[in-house]
Amino acid sequence: MADLQTYGQDSGLKHTLLRGLLYLVLILFSIYYLFPLFVMITTSLKSLTEIREGSLISLPRVVTFDAWNYAWNEACVGVECSGIKTFFWNSVQMAIPAVLISTILGALNGYALTKFRFKGANIVFAMLLFGCFVPFQVVLLPMSVTLGKLGIANSTMGLVLVHVVYGLCFTTLFFRNYYVSIPDELVKAATIDGAGFFTIFWRIILPISGPIIVVSIIWQFTQIWNDFLFGASFSSGGSAPMTVALNNIVNTTTGVKQYNVDMASALLTGLPTLLVYVLAGKYFVRGLTAGSVKG
Amino acid sequence: MASLTLDKVRKTFGSVEVLKEINLAIEDGEFLVLVGPSGCGKSTLLNLIAGLETSSDGEIRIGDRVINNVHPKDRNIAMVFQSYALYPNMTVRKNITFGLEIRGVSASERDKAVDDVARLLQIENLLDRKPSQLSGGQRQRVAMGRALVRNPDIFLFDEPLSNLDAKLRVDMRTEIKKLHHRLGSTIVYVTHDQIEAMTLASRIAVMKGGILQQFDTPQHIYEKPNNMFVAGFIGSPSMNFIEAKLVDDNGKIAVTFDNNGQKVVLPLLENSPESYKSWVGKDVVFGIRPEGLTHKRTGSDKPGSQYVNFDAKVEVIEPTGADTMTVINLGGKEIVARVRPDRATNPGEMMTFSADMNQISLFDPTTELRI
Repeated sequence: MADLQTYGQDSGLKHTLLRGLLYLVLILFSIYYLFPLFVMITTSLKSLTEIREGSLISLPRVVTFDAWNYAWNEACVGVECSGIKTFFWNSVQMAIPAVLISTILGALNGYALTKFRFKGANIVFAMLLFGCFVPFQVVLLPMSVTLGKLGIANSTMGLVLVHVVYGLCFTTLFFRNYYVSIPDELVKAATIDGAGFFTIFWRIILPISGPIIVVSIIWQFTQIWNDFLFGASFSSGGSAPMTVALNNIVNTTTGVKQYNVDMASALLTGLPTLLVYVLAGKYFVRGLTAGSVKG
Repeated sequence: MASLTLDKVRKTFGSVEVLKEINLAIEDGEFLVLVGPSGCGKSTLLNLIAGLETSSDGEIRIGDRVINNVHPKDRNIAMVFQSYALYPNMTVRKNITFGLEIRGVSASERDKAVDDVARLLQIENLLDRKPSQLSGGQRQRVAMGRALVRNPDIFLFDEPLSNLDAKLRVDMRTEIKKLHHRLGSTIVYVTHDQIEAMTLASRIAVMKGGILQQFDTPQHIYEKPNNMFVAGFIGSPSMNFIEAKLVDDNGKIAVTFDNNGQKVVLPLLENSPESYKSWVGKDVVFGIRPEGLTHKRTGSDKPGSQYVNFDAKVEVIEPTGADTMTVINLGGKEIVARVRPDRATNPGEMMTFSADMNQISLFDPTTELRI
C-alpha cells in the first residue's frame, strides 16, 4: 500500500512537470507568433513623432486613432489621396460574389461527382484535382487574354471570374470529400420520393452541408481577400483590390515614411479575414475533419 | 397493390454478369423474400425493381405495365433502406410527407396521411423530432412510415432489420408480418438472414452468384431444396451432408455410408421417388437435417417404421435448452443431431440414433443437384 502511494506521488510530480513544460512551450510560441501583431497594433496607435523617438516595442504614451482615420480616408494610393476605403469596397465587391459563386459551384460539382456518378466522373475529378496544383503564375497570361476577349479586363467582374475559376478546384475537392461520406441511400430515397437532381440538392444535400460550407467560405475568403498577384495583374487604378492598394501606400516613395499609417492600413486589410475566422473558426476545424471518422 | 413479374431479367456491369436470367412472378399481396449470401445479386435485383439501376435485358412488369424505362418516382413503389436513409435535416413529419409534397399533395391531405401512418406505427409522439433524436427501432418505424404514407403498389425492403439488435429485430419482424397481414400489400424483401426469410415470406427466392437457385414457398424450400446450396443455406443448424452410396439391400434401395469402420445401412422408404433406382450402385450425397436425426424413437424397431436406428459415438454436446445438439463423427465429417435433453448422453459415450427417412434428401455429388 505504501509502495503504491509513493508511486502515485512520483507520477503526479512527473505529470505536473510535463504539463508545465508543455505550457511553457505553448506560451513561447504564442509570444513568437503574436509579437508582430503587437508591434503593428501599438505602432498604429502612436503618433509619428512618438514613433521616431520611442523604441519599437514600447506601448504608446498617448493612444491616438489618427493614423487609422488617415489610412481609411486620406492616405495616397498612387496619385489618388482618398484613403484605402474605396479599395476596401473593391475587395468586398470582388470577394463576396467570388466566394459565394465558387462555393455553390463547388457544392454542385461535389454533389454530381459523388451522388450522380456519370461516365468519366473519376477523370473529371482527377483533372479538377490537378487544378489545385497549378501555380498562380502559370495562368496569368492565358487568363489575361481570356479576360480581354470577354471584355472584362481591369474590372471587378474580371477578378471575380478569375477567383471563381481558380478556386473551383479547391471547393470541389472539399465538397466532394464531404459528400463521399453521405450515404447514397439518402439520394436513392429522395429519388423514389420523386425529387429530381436540383430538388435533392437544395432540399436535402445543401441543408446538411453546413460544416463544409463554412470551410469553403473561410478558405475561399482568405485566398481571395489576401490575393495580391491576380489583383495586381488583372486590375488597375481605381478597380484594384485592397491588397494592391496597401502595397501602393506602403511603397510610396514620396514624402515621410508614415509607419503608423502603414500599420493601420495593413491591419485594416487583414481585419476581414480575422473576423471570418473568429466568427466561424470553430466550424472550420470541425468541417476539415468531418467524415474522416465514421460515426 | 399489384402483381410483379420479372421476365428473363439480366444485369451486367461491364463484362461481369451479376444477374443471369432471373424469372420471378408473384401475385398481388404476396410477400416475396430474396435471400442469399452477400454478393449474390439480391440487392441489385431490388434496385432494378425500384428503378435505381437499369436492367441490361429482360422485362419487369408491375401488374400489366412494363416498367423497364419508367422513372423510379413513376413506378408507384416505396422503399425502406438498410440505413433507413432518413433526411437528417427534416423532422419525422417532414420526412414522412416529403414524397407527398414533391408530388404536389395539398397540405391538409398530407397532415391527414401522416396522422394515419403515425397512428398505425405508433410514432405519434415522435413527429416533431429530428432523426438524430431517435433510437434505431424508432428510425426503422419512421422509414416504414415514409413508405406506407405513399400507399404504393409494391413495397421494397432492403435488409431493413440488419442494423437493429437481436431482440428488436425479432420484434420488428413480427410487426412487419402483422403490417403485411393488415394491409395485404405486395412486398419484396431482401435479406441475408434465412430465418427472416422463412418467417416472413409467402414465397422465397434463394439466390447465389446472380443465379436464382430456387423459388418456392418456405416450407417446400425447407423440405425439398433444389440443390446442396439451398439445403445448406436454409435452416439452422444447417443440413448434414454425408458422402454415401445407394445400394440394393435385399430388393430395397438403401443408403449406406461408413461409420468409423462399420457400415451403416439405411433402407429408403417404399414411397421414395422412382428416380432413385437409376442411382443404385453410384455415389450420392445423403442430406438430413438435424431434426431428422434424433435419439432412438419409440416404435423405431418395428418393421415398416419410418425410423432407422444406428449407433455412433458422441463427440460434443451443445445444449440449447429446448434441444441438445449432439455432434457425432460419420465418415470423417461432423454431423449434428437434435436430441431431447433428457435423452442426451455425455461426450465419448455410444448412443443410438434414429434417422427419420421421411426427412432425407439425396444429391448428385458432381452437380450438387437434388436427385
